[in-house]
Amino acid sequence: MILLTRLILGSLLLCVTGLLHARPIDEVVDSGYLTISLYEDYAPYSWQEGDQVLGIDADIARRFADHLGVDIKFLVRGADENVDDDLRNNLWKGDLIHRQSADLMMHVPQDRELAARNNLVALMAPYFMEEMAVVANTAVLPVLETFGRFLNKPIAVEVDTAGDFFLSNAFRGKLHPSIRRGRTFAEVVKLYLAAEVPAAMGSKAQMEWIAHQSSDIASIIVQPPMPGIVRTRWPVGYAVKHDSRDLGYALTDVVSDLISSGEMKKITAQYGVSWTAFE
Amino acid sequence: MKQQFLKLAVVSAIACSVGVSASATADAVDTAAIVGDQASTGDIVSYGLGPRGQRYSPLSAINKETIKNLFPVWSFSFGGEKQRGQESQPLVKDGVMYVTGSYSRMWAIDIATGEELWQYDARLPEGILPCCDVVNRGAAILGDKVFFGTLDAKIVALDAKTGKVVWRKKIADFEAGYSYTAAPLIVPTEAHGPLILTGNSGGEFGVVGQVDARNPDTGDLVWSRPVIEGHMGTLNGEESTMTGTANESWPGDMWKNGGGATWLGGTYDADSKLAYFGTGNPAPWNSYLRPGDNKWTSSRVAINPENGEIEWGFQTTPHDGWDYDGVNEFVTFDMEKDGKVIKAGATADRNGFFYVLDRTNGDFVSAVPFVKNITWAKGIDENGRPIFDPENRPGDPAESADGKKGKSIFAVPSFLGGKNWMPMAYSQDTKHFYIPSNEWGMDIWNEPVTYKKGAAYLGAGFTIKPIFDDYIGSLKAIDPASGETKWEYKNKAPLWGGVLTTAGGLVFTGTPEGFLKAFDDETGEELWKFQTGTGIVSSPVTWEQDGEQWLAIVAGWGGAVPLWGGEVAKFVSHLNQGGSVWTFKIPKQLAAK
Repeated sequence: MILLTRLILGSLLLCVTGLLHARPIDEVVDSGYLTISLYEDYAPYSWQEGDQVLGIDADIARRFADHLGVDIKFLVRGADENVDDDLRNNLWKGDLIHRQSADLMMHVPQDRELAARNNLVALMAPYFMEEMAVVANTAVLPVLETFGRFLNKPIAVEVDTAGDFFLSNAFRGKLHPSIRRGRTFAEVVKLYLAAEVPAAMGSKAQMEWIAHQSSDIASIIVQPPMPGIVRTRWPVGYAVKHDSRDLGYALTDVVSDLISSGEMKKITAQYGVSWTAFE
Repeated sequence: MKQQFLKLAVVSAIACSVGVSASATADAVDTAAIVGDQASTGDIVSYGLGPRGQRYSPLSAINKETIKNLFPVWSFSFGGEKQRGQESQPLVKDGVMYVTGSYSRMWAIDIATGEELWQYDARLPEGILPCCDVVNRGAAILGDKVFFGTLDAKIVALDAKTGKVVWRKKIADFEAGYSYTAAPLIVPTEAHGPLILTGNSGGEFGVVGQVDARNPDTGDLVWSRPVIEGHMGTLNGEESTMTGTANESWPGDMWKNGGGATWLGGTYDADSKLAYFGTGNPAPWNSYLRPGDNKWTSSRVAINPENGEIEWGFQTTPHDGWDYDGVNEFVTFDMEKDGKVIKAGATADRNGFFYVLDRTNGDFVSAVPFVKNITWAKGIDENGRPIFDPENRPGDPAESADGKKGKSIFAVPSFLGGKNWMPMAYSQDTKHFYIPSNEWGMDIWNEPVTYKKGAAYLGAGFTIKPIFDDYIGSLKAIDPASGETKWEYKNKAPLWGGVLTTAGGLVFTGTPEGFLKAFDDETGEELWKFQTGTGIVSSPVTWEQDGEQWLAIVAGWGGAVPLWGGEVAKFVSHLNQGGSVWTFKIPKQLAAK
């Protein structure tokens, strides 16, 4: 209750000043809580079931709070048009309505240009290698060497995502009649599990998660050539406010320990997701 | 000159008698009062001073001669720490003003004293992502209730006397990216009695534009009409008809998430008995992914309120690739041209062209540019279709997959539009439209890498640029019959507020610099201004009370402009937020002279 009151007071202050103050590590520890933002409906990385926040990113985030000996408060947020907007909503400016922001945002791509465009945040500590992939039902698609297979077979994808843009553009738009767009990732999962589509596209972890759910379907994860796609793989880490870098640095140790101890692999394996080392 | 004075005097005499009778009866608002709102000067019971949206008042006590004596009566602060953009148009009934504010708030104010009667504050849930500020554009009134939409995509009916909730209904799911900011529209029907019509708002979240009609007593849905081809409408709880034909102008299943949000609400014409709604841009943003016209995005649709059927559609920007989110209001009027009277309607589109259409069937009459140096189209052909300039369509991001910044194009107008949400006005005296516009363009290029929800894709980058060094905002008087621009007032900052014109020969609008200004409707000469202390991005109103003409404007800087930086920032970054209503009249001692 004290915590809540404090948060409310904090957010009132923010409204008054219109500025989000820094929360370096000492302040986080003294306050007794760490606020971490996660994407909603983003299995296997993060999603909500009732009051519970689940997923790989949520599990890693809890290790951060444990390490600092503080409570964790999750801000589970929808994605805006791009990650630059998410960094604004979740970290440096807060949301438009309640002006709440997090101390740390999970699942931020580690990219020099993204970092340069967003100098009010610091991107750090890559903990996962993201790749684009397809999950396919081998009963229908025993081989999948090219996306040409989808000229006459449907494939599901979450609307308005990198996978959607790739498929819409592939073969000069020829796959259009085959694309089954889900409004959410959960809808994509449902389409595949109901065998309404023999394939889905998204990140490799998302596709492994689908395969993990579909015990009655023999699934394979494949990565056919993706001509025209901007990146097939990229690291993701977290981001903190630019004036609270010491918090971010302190938690890089947690990430290195999770990786070197093999704990990271165990976390992702719970969700059927393979963790691969990266340079 | 003498003749003109005489005419003004006659008009004001008529206006006065109407005003007195209206205030004397103090009837509850019915649809006849709404449809006749323009003529009944004692109240303002619709958005647009009449559902046609002409924003013309027959009042003339405040006129070119007397305006110098116009002074503030009171100012009412919205209070709290919630400010940002105030885009609301007040309503006035029986001496009470009903005004909405940012963050889904509403007040009833005693006009005689400027004191608050009640305040309603919507409790907004976590997790709303309104794309373009936390504004609200106004309320609707019928019987003993006032209605407005909230940012979490709900419509609320409040008791006009107490501000207590009578009913509250979900328009759409805010968790799926929907929001609501427009003023609801109340229309008469034979089949269902009065109906309250709402559009919907949402950013690029795969939303689908829709118009809903509800019973104002209960909030129950009577019909719904999605504006994108392939979607099914409803009537009396059952499926009615499909909008257009699925896939006719969309590839694959893209129509399912096609965009076309009807976020600015609509107008109604009692002569054609049609409701007119503008529809927003298509999704996704990259036009190369959705070959075809993508109907009915960036269009005007005319809907029969009896059954929710689309009578006609007119697409201003087919296959939009510039984010020309053409929701702009369709204002109906009778146009004399070549000795004939055309049952017309006009719309000044986000894409920079001012269109006149036949309001009964949507037939194209004419189109002229109302901003300068338009580059995206070379003109509008005889069927009303743009003559695209392929050189100035943003490039296909897939063409620059080599990881370099792709070709940059300069498109005019910018995606914020030749005209954005702010409503224009039509004078029944000068027969001119007064259009609040902006002279700006945008550089658009392919961004080698953008990320969305953690994943990389080829996106686009853009920056808005003024076209001229010394101004962006431009208020223009346009003759719809000839297409000629009669005068122009230039404003340094972009104009973002609505316009009002009166039989007093005046045109009123507010500026982001904080001034409420009055112009001569024939010459554009600035006759009067008042500094409200914060930027104005709302629509002025005028009415008559106790024999005096009042004027009101909501002040409070915000809206979409400050959310987009670029080179526009230097024109607006110094402007301060606020939240208040100002009222004005000519003091009795001066009026008597």
